[in-house]
Amino acid sequence: MLTLPLHDLPTRSASGFLIRYIVPRSIPPQLIGPTDRRQPFRMLAIGDAIIGVGHGSPSEFCGHNNQVILDTKSIPDVKDKVVILISCETAQVLGPALIDAGAASYIGFKKDLVWVCDADLAFTPWSDKMALTVMGPITNCVNTILDGRPVEEGYNAMLEELSRNADVEEDELIKSCIQFNRRNAVLLGNPMARVRARPKITLPLPPPPIILPI
Amino acid sequence: MPTKEFEKLKEALRKTPTPEARKEAAVAFRRYRVVQLAKGKGSKPTLVSLGYRKPYPTAVPVDKIAEELERNTSFYEHLREIIGEEE
Repeated sequence: MLTLPLHDLPTRSASGFLIRYIVPRSIPPQLIGPTDRRQPFRMLAIGDAIIGVGHGSPSEFCGHNNQVILDTKSIPDVKDKVVILISCETAQVLGPALIDAGAASYIGFKKDLVWVCDADLAFTPWSDKMALTVMGPITNCVNTILDGRPVEEGYNAMLEELSRNADVEEDELIKSCIQFNRRNAVLLGNPMARVRARPKITLPLPPPPIILPI
Repeated sequence: MPTKEFEKLKEALRKTPTPEARKEAAVAFRRYRVVQLAKGKGSKPTLVSLGYRKPYPTAVPVDKIAEELERNTSFYEHLREIIGEEE
């Protein structure tokens, strides 16, 4: 399951990278844009992975227009699933609660997930080289896990790539964001958990621009 | 190697967020951006986060960060968290 809201610049930027690099190789359900709401999220909780972009707090994870789709008060069936929340602060409370509820493993962030993006690229966010410094490693983490590799391998690949990007970044604000995210990344649960390997699909062309308004 | 302007910004962000400290940080940020803009970056760089119910905006154009620093204590502390800590 993928949840990819597109209602503001941060969700547009982060979801854009998953639309470009993850959606083509993931299986439905894919809740993208206005379909990313609580009801379908809870009805369609099938598959072995939940990969979500969205605004978050220590105990809540949001979908389109910041509708809370996942919180500690009502956790859906996550037994044996790998959960990746590309969001803020969910590693504080929600991540551990998901593990307690039976999730195989969880990757998220214990503080804000921050980056610098180019607002002028909101319709083609996957082409944003500034956002790529943070979203590239996160996307590659997800891709490694979708290759059927252990969750820990994807997580470590993300940390290493964040470090490499920070080392070569000249803009100190962008560099600070990369380092901040690296410090706050968290892996919980079974590090050797895996999902079923998805076929590798590399599309030669990027998807069409996202025409939904922000 | 951090630039002199960025070091001054970090120094300014270490202070208790009084109105004077926030103003000082805003001035330091403007100076830092002048240097960065000279290097050339994206057309509308914006600092974003995926926070929910935050007392600061989740998208702040980089050329507005100094103003936000000056008026919003929570944003000052948010930026301090991001750039104030060393790896």
